[in-house]
Amino acid sequence: MGEDRSFRDLLRGYSFIAPLVAILLAFVFVPVVGTCIDSLYREVTFLPRAFIGLGNYQSLASDPGFRQSLRFTVLFVLASVPLELVLGLSFALLLHRPSPARGALRACVLIPWAVPAAVSGKVFELICNFQYGLANYLVQRIGLTDGPVNWLGSTGGAFFALVAGDVWKTAPFVAILFLAGLSAIPEDLYRQAAVDRAGPVQRFARITLPLLRPVFVVALLFRTIDALRVFDLVFVLTRGGPGGSTTSLSLYGYDAFTGGDFGYGSAVSVVLFLIAFTLSVAYVRIGRFGRELS
Amino acid sequence: MNGERRIGMLHLAGAVAMTIFCLGPIVYMALTAMSHRPDFLAPGAGFAFTAAHFLEVLRTESLHFPEYFRNSLVVSGFSAAFSVSVAAPAAYAVTRLAIPGRVAVLFAVLAVSMFPQVSLVSYLFKLMSAMGWINTYAALVLPYTAWILPLSLWILTSYFSRVPRDIDRAALVDGCGPLEALWKVIVPVAAPGIFSTALLAFIFAFNELLFALMLTTDHRARTIPAGIALFEGLHGETPWGAVMAAATLTVVPVVALTLVFQRRIIQGLTRGAVKE
Amino acid sequence: MKLSFRDVSKTFRSLRGAVPAVRGVDFSVEDGELFVLLGPSGCGKSTILNLAAGLERPTSGEIRFDGEIVASLEGRVFVPPGERNVAMVFQGYALYPHLNVRENIAFPLRVAGEAREEIDRSVVRTASMLGIEDLLRSRPSELSGGQRQRVAIARALVRKPRLFLLDEPLSNLDAALRTATRAELRRLQRSLEVTTLYVTHDQTEAMTLGDRIALLRDGRILQTGTPRDLYEKPQTPFAASFIGPYTMNLLKTDLEEEGGVCSIRIGTERLPLPPDRASGARLLGSRKILFGIRPEHARAHPDSPDPGLRGIVTAVEHLGRETLVTADLGGASLRAIAGEGTLKEGDVARIAIPVDSIHVFPD
Repeated sequence: MGEDRSFRDLLRGYSFIAPLVAILLAFVFVPVVGTCIDSLYREVTFLPRAFIGLGNYQSLASDPGFRQSLRFTVLFVLASVPLELVLGLSFALLLHRPSPARGALRACVLIPWAVPAAVSGKVFELICNFQYGLANYLVQRIGLTDGPVNWLGSTGGAFFALVAGDVWKTAPFVAILFLAGLSAIPEDLYRQAAVDRAGPVQRFARITLPLLRPVFVVALLFRTIDALRVFDLVFVLTRGGPGGSTTSLSLYGYDAFTGGDFGYGSAVSVVLFLIAFTLSVAYVRIGRFGRELS
Repeated sequence: MNGERRIGMLHLAGAVAMTIFCLGPIVYMALTAMSHRPDFLAPGAGFAFTAAHFLEVLRTESLHFPEYFRNSLVVSGFSAAFSVSVAAPAAYAVTRLAIPGRVAVLFAVLAVSMFPQVSLVSYLFKLMSAMGWINTYAALVLPYTAWILPLSLWILTSYFSRVPRDIDRAALVDGCGPLEALWKVIVPVAAPGIFSTALLAFIFAFNELLFALMLTTDHRARTIPAGIALFEGLHGETPWGAVMAAATLTVVPVVALTLVFQRRIIQGLTRGAVKE
Repeated sequence: MKLSFRDVSKTFRSLRGAVPAVRGVDFSVEDGELFVLLGPSGCGKSTILNLAAGLERPTSGEIRFDGEIVASLEGRVFVPPGERNVAMVFQGYALYPHLNVRENIAFPLRVAGEAREEIDRSVVRTASMLGIEDLLRSRPSELSGGQRQRVAIARALVRKPRLFLLDEPLSNLDAALRTATRAELRRLQRSLEVTTLYVTHDQTEAMTLGDRIALLRDGRILQTGTPRDLYEKPQTPFAASFIGPYTMNLLKTDLEEEGGVCSIRIGTERLPLPPDRASGARLLGSRKILFGIRPEHARAHPDSPDPGLRGIVTAVEHLGRETLVTADLGGASLRAIAGEGTLKEGDVARIAIPVDSIHVFPD
C-alpha cells in the first residue's frame, strides 16, 4: 500500500538519507571519477601534469608487467573462487546439522574471517617458509615430497600459497551465506522426500542444491569481485613476487602510486574498476532475469 | 538406518577436519609466538615456551606496536560509530518513509560496494594531502566510514524492515511525533541490529589495509594491519617470533569479539548478504 | 465525543496506479456509542479506522470530532494522531517489545509528560480494570495472546481517550477466549462510555457488540443500522447473505402469476404470496427476482399430508443445538432447520417457510 506523504514527510525522508549520500559522494564517487580523470593525464612526481588522453592505456596495453598482473588476477579468481564455494558449502552443511557443539563450531569457523588479511598473510608466509614452515614440515612428514618445497620462491608455489591463504580466509564467509540459505529451506521438503524414500544423496541433489541456487549466485558474485580486487593478502604474503609474477591488479596499481606515477596507476585502477563494474551489472541483469523466471 | 549412521560419522570427521582447517594456522601462529625459536618444527629443535617475543613487541619503542593498537581501536571505533549513525536514519527512511527513489538508493549503494579500493586511494591521497590530513585519524576515519556505509546500510535496512509497521503507528497514536517515535521506539527495538551492524563495521575497519598503507606514514596514525604488513626486523631477517607475537596480540580482540558475539555477527552477515 | 465522516474518500497512489480504498463514506458515531465497521477483507474498514486515527489523510471529505474538523484536504486541516487523543488497539497488538507491561501502559502518559505518581496510579488502575495487575513486570514476549491483548487495551484506555479504535481485536484469539473477551469488551466499553469504532469481518461479533453497524464493501457503506435493522431488513443481497448466523438461502427465481395469485417458484414447488407481500413484489417491476429466506426461519419436517413445499433431503448436519438440513426442491437447494422428527438423506421433507420472513430482491 502506498503511504501518505505530505511535503514535510518527504523533506524529512530526504534529510535522513542526505548525510549518507553526501559521504558516499565525497569519499567514494568523487574519488572514482577523479581517478578516471587522472588516468588521462601523465602525472609523475617531479614532472608537470599533462593531458595525454588515452596515452596511459596505450602503455598499459603493451606493458608486459600489466599483462602479467592481469593474467595472474584472472587465474587467481578462477582458482580460488570455485574452491571457496565448494569448501564453503561443505562447511555450511556441517554447521547446519544440529549438534551440541554447533555454537562452538560456528565461532571456530568465523575466526579466519575475523582475522585481518595482513595477519593471515604473515601467518601463511611463515607456514610457507622454506626452512621451517609448517607446510614443508607436513609435506615432508606425510611423504608427499622428498625435500622441502620452495613455495614462495617459485611462481607456481607462490600462487598455490596465495590461493590457500585466500580460501582459508574467505571460505567461512561463503559458509555463512550458504548456511543462511540452508536454513531457509523448509524442513517439510526433506520429510516429504524421506517419505518418498529418497536417500540422502538424492535429497541433496534434488532439494538442497536447486534451492541454494540464489545464494550460490550471490556468493559467486561477491567472491569473484572480491578476488578480482585482492590486495591485502598478496601484499603481505608474496609482495607480488617472485619477480612480480603474483602481482594482482590492485597491487600493480598501488606500486605505480607509491612509485610516484599517479597517471599510470590511475589507469590500472580504472581497468580494474571497469572489470568489476561490468561484472556487477551482469549480476544485476542475471539476478533480475532469474527473478522473473522464478 | 545404516546410511544415517554413516552420515553421522562423516559429519564428525568433517567437523574435526573443519576445525583443524580453521584453527590450525592460528594455533601455529600462537605457538610460534610463544616458542623460543621459530623453527621448532625442524628436527633437532624443540619447543620451549617463552614470553620474550610478546614483551619485545610490547616494549620495543621503535616497533610502535601499542601505538598501532591504539590507532586501530580509535579509528575503527569512530568509523563504526559514524557509519552506523549515518546509515541508521537512512535505513529508517528507506524502509518506512515511502520516498521515491529509495530502491535506487539501495542499489546505488550496493554498486558502490563493488568498487575496488585501489581506484579510490590515489584521489583520497591527494585529497588528504591537500587538507593536510595525511597521517592523521581524519585521513582514515572518513574514508573508512564511507567504505563501510554500504554494508551498514544493507544490514540495518534488513533489521529495520523487520520491525512491524504497527509499532510505529502505535507510537504515533500514543502521542509521539515522527522523530520522537523513531527515537523512543524504533531505535530501541532495532537496537540489537544496530549493535550487530556496529560490530561488523568495527571488524571491517579494523582489518583494512590499503587505505592505511597509503594514507598514513608513521606510528602516529598507522594502524595494526599496516604495521604488521610493514614489519621489519631490526636486522633485516624477519624475526618470526616477534611477528607472530604481534599477530597474536592483534588477533586477540577480534577473536574475542567473534567468540562472544558469534550469533550476532552471523545474523548480521546473513541479513546483509542474503537480502533477496 | 461525536465522530463524523462526511463524504470521505481515500485513494492510495502507488507505482502500480491508484487504488481507491474508501469511496464517499458518510457516517457518524454518537458519544459513547460502539459503532462497528463490518465487511470482508479489502472493503476499506481498516483504512477508515486509520483515517479516524490520523494515520492516513483523506483524499477528500471531512472528518470531525465534536464538530471540529480534524482532517480535510480541501480545508487544509490535519491534526496528527498524537494530538487527537485517540487510542487504538491494533490487530497484532503492537506492544513495545523492549518495554515491560507497566512501561507499555505508561508510555502514552509519559509522552504526554504527566507526573510520575499520576502515571503510576493510572497504570495500576487501568491494569486492575483489565485484570493484569500481576503482569506489570513481564515482557510482552512472555505473555499469551489474550494477555497481550489486555495490555494493548490497557495502554489504549489509560489516558481516557476521546475515541477508542479497535482493529479486529478478537481475530487472533482462539474461539473460547473470543466469546468471553467479547462480552468483557462490551462491558468495559459500556462502563467507560467511550465512543468506540470497531472493525471486524465477523458478523457475529458485529451483531453482538455493536450499537450500530455499517456494512462495507469495496470501499463503500452499503447499509447502516442497528443489528436488528440489518438482520430483519437487509437492503441488498450482499447484506442479506453476510449477516445472520447462517448464510441466507438466495435463489434466482421467477414470480409467477396465476389466477390473481402471485407465487414464487422454488424449483418445482411454488410458494404463494399473500396480497400485501404480492403487491410489494410486483413493485419490483420484473419477473426475475432473488428470493431469500434464512435457514433459521425455515423448517424441515418429515413428510406429512399437510400442505407445503416438498423436497428431497441431500444433507443433514448436526450442529448440536440445531440440525441443518439441505433439501433439493426439484433443482433448487434450500437449507432449513430440522423441526420435530428425524430426517435422513433421501427422505422426503416438508419445508415450511413463513411468508413474513421471506426477502425479495430485484435480480
